[in-house]
Amino acid sequence: MTTVPPTTLNDAAALGDHVGMPDSKWLQAWNWVEGRLSALAERANPILVKETRQALKSRQFTITFMIVLLLCWIASFVGIAWVGPQIYYAAAGPGMLAAYYTILILPLTLVVPFTAFRSLAAEQEENTFDLLSITTLSSRQIVTGKLTSALVQMVVYLSAVSPCIAFTFLLRGVDAITVGMLLAVAVLGSVGLSMMALLIGAVARVRSTQVVISVALVLMLAGAGWGLWGLGIIIISEGSAVYRQSEFWLVAVVILSIYITSFGLLHAAAAAQIAFVSENRSTPLRRWMMAQQACLCGWMAGLTYVVFESLGGGGNDFMAGLVIATATLGSAYWFLMGAMMTGEWPHLSRRVQRSLPSNDAWRPFVSLLNPGPGAGYLFAIANLTMLLLVSLAAAIWADAVGVTGGRPSIETAVYYAIFAWSYVVAFLGFGRLIINALRQWVYVPMTAAFLIHVILLLTAIGVPTVIQMTSRQLRDSGYTLWQMTNPVWTLGALAEKGVDNVQGDILILILPTAAIIALLLNMRSVATELLLQKTPVPVRIIEDEAEIQAAAPHRPSSPWDVDEEPA
Amino acid sequence: MFMPRRPLIEVRDLHRYFGPTKAVVDMSFEVYAGEVFGYIGPNGAGKTTSMRIISTLDEPTYGDALVDGFSVVDDPDRVRRRLGFMPDYFGTYQNMNVVEYLDFFARAYGLRSYERKRAIEYAMEFTLLNQLAEKPINGLSKGMKQRLALGRTMIHDPAVLILDEPAAGLDPRARIELREMIGRLAADGKSVLISSHILTELAEMCHRVGIIEQGQLLAVGTVDEISSQTETRSEVRLRVLDEPDAVLNYLRARDDVSDIAFRNGHVILTHSGGPAEQAALLRQIVDTGFQVVEFASKTKSLEDVFMHVTEGRVQ
Repeated sequence: MTTVPPTTLNDAAALGDHVGMPDSKWLQAWNWVEGRLSALAERANPILVKETRQALKSRQFTITFMIVLLLCWIASFVGIAWVGPQIYYAAAGPGMLAAYYTILILPLTLVVPFTAFRSLAAEQEENTFDLLSITTLSSRQIVTGKLTSALVQMVVYLSAVSPCIAFTFLLRGVDAITVGMLLAVAVLGSVGLSMMALLIGAVARVRSTQVVISVALVLMLAGAGWGLWGLGIIIISEGSAVYRQSEFWLVAVVILSIYITSFGLLHAAAAAQIAFVSENRSTPLRRWMMAQQACLCGWMAGLTYVVFESLGGGGNDFMAGLVIATATLGSAYWFLMGAMMTGEWPHLSRRVQRSLPSNDAWRPFVSLLNPGPGAGYLFAIANLTMLLLVSLAAAIWADAVGVTGGRPSIETAVYYAIFAWSYVVAFLGFGRLIINALRQWVYVPMTAAFLIHVILLLTAIGVPTVIQMTSRQLRDSGYTLWQMTNPVWTLGALAEKGVDNVQGDILILILPTAAIIALLLNMRSVATELLLQKTPVPVRIIEDEAEIQAAAPHRPSSPWDVDEEPA
Repeated sequence: MFMPRRPLIEVRDLHRYFGPTKAVVDMSFEVYAGEVFGYIGPNGAGKTTSMRIISTLDEPTYGDALVDGFSVVDDPDRVRRRLGFMPDYFGTYQNMNVVEYLDFFARAYGLRSYERKRAIEYAMEFTLLNQLAEKPINGLSKGMKQRLALGRTMIHDPAVLILDEPAAGLDPRARIELREMIGRLAADGKSVLISSHILTELAEMCHRVGIIEQGQLLAVGTVDEISSQTETRSEVRLRVLDEPDAVLNYLRARDDVSDIAFRNGHVILTHSGGPAEQAALLRQIVDTGFQVVEFASKTKSLEDVFMHVTEGRVQ
């Protein structure tokens, strides 16, 4: 074997090569740190390594960085000149911080997310995506690698602005918590937008649509950047007084939980978009949906606690309102998610079938997390049912202990929850039956299936509304039974005017019956999916696993373990 | 001599439809360890589609393909560890040099530390890219890019290599070097599935070939096997010392001979028998009293076989 000419790569890979190491303790410490960093880089995501190398050589990156740096200098000089000698006693910090934040937010919300989008889109354009997808990198690793490389860029831009931001801390009017909150908003916003851009990049596979999608994405990022800038300015102008209020932190926790679960869902969705077809792409998404549902329950419980604590026994209509809010949010969420899940392809791959539980009693429950439109339908219904049952139980308990009373009544809340549940079950169920029927003849992808659900819903809303609005007799008669297929009008009227106004006694018979019919009509195909048996693992897989186990070397227990060259 | 051991690629009843277009129809064949299998067919025949399926880049409509016993549909992750695919295009990354390019793919295949360093060194040595380690890949010539693509394909030491038109656009020297490299890979026990339009090269380097047209595998085997399976007639060239008219009349009277012509002192004829029947024909001509100076049966080239097997149909 010949020797490769010395390169930066080879030099960097020379781990543990401490020949001729000086005796200085500082140099020893430096070598130790360098060794650990090399070990860490050794285990870094390959895409992160590649894209960092590319970014550091990229003209676009260098120019953007230089512009950010230059703008910071200009802002500093102009700001100091503007404030003049008053800088020693005037509160000049907020103004300067706002200027630096404005400079920072541009690359963080526009350049970094768009670069993340382009890096995935360019893989398709440059024909490198095929090469990437046949490596042993998983789709999750690919998405994570792209995201972390966006993070690296973010850190570089932050490093350009951070000395200036630190400078504002020395001025009057700015405190550390405001600076921390501002940077958190900027970074979390940028990471979230980058994740969204990556999902769009993963979805936009067709080159002809890339230009349109690029323009739409830039507009979306500009809008989001404007919003984040506005939020930052509010944070600066409000100062730190707001952080002393417990309500602020409660709201912050709610927002953070929305952010984390949505981020996880977007990440799983992006990974699912680029994963191989036989892989289980649905279960991670469903886990994140459950996490969001758990968060919704948590917010409601937290809100109840806060209200009860602050109002004591005088909550009045709060619990009924909470049930209505939960039912509205929950049914909208599970309708949207269900509309996508029921569009999944009905055949479970052999690979997924291998991972089914062998326990007959346990399988139907675990199978709800498995791919498939039937499992997806039941998963959405089961989650919505659980959510509504919990909120109703809480409301009924509150009623029993005499907390509630007034409007909307607990009766209205119960009707509202039942109607909302019925609408979701019926619309998803009948939509799924239409999709199943169409799939006998044509290929119906998930996007088309989603559109079928939306069209069905819009038809159910639009047709009775048009009929009533064009009828002279009915136009001014408020809510009528013509609107029973219209969830917006029915639920709106129920929440606003009570059970009697929407002829609740009739609807309570019709809507749940329609939902149960839809559910029963779907049960056969749902049961087929849920009762699928676990298939045995092929002998070749067992042999391979045994070979891997036998050949497995000593694995490092942490990234700080340095590989030693074998003798 | 080539000794087949075990199939590293098994294609079973493979079908791939794109709407009404049947890109691959009921394709089955095997490629053994240490074998170079040539995949030939006109443009649009389904070569790339079936190669992409075997490489886990596409899924079959029906059927399956196994790589080292693992299904490309059910276990693509295990297949990918054992397979290197070189498509008919070179995927370029901006702002990267040769060694960084190989380093990225070595990392992506899970090679760590010294294992990765050695793999990069070996790939560069094998593909003769040692002197170009720091050269930006955008500045490489077509031949160098093909070498680099081969280096990338073999970086994780896969047992199976799938090469789609690797010699396209290469100059004669680069083609010869590529052929030698592929020969060395097969000698190392790797299965190589290669497609090319340059049939003379495939005939030289492949142990067996598969001829594909309109998504269907029309013939599989060595060139001789396919030739004998598909066509028993062969062209025979004969030269006698006697007057040609006599031998021409003798041959015209025979049922097993047709298309008789006399050109440049040679009798050219088409004989409808195999080697044994040709030997009998020669013996009978000599026994009749003709002084035979030359009797040669023309060996069919891969081009002849290809032209005979295929009909030039495209989808």
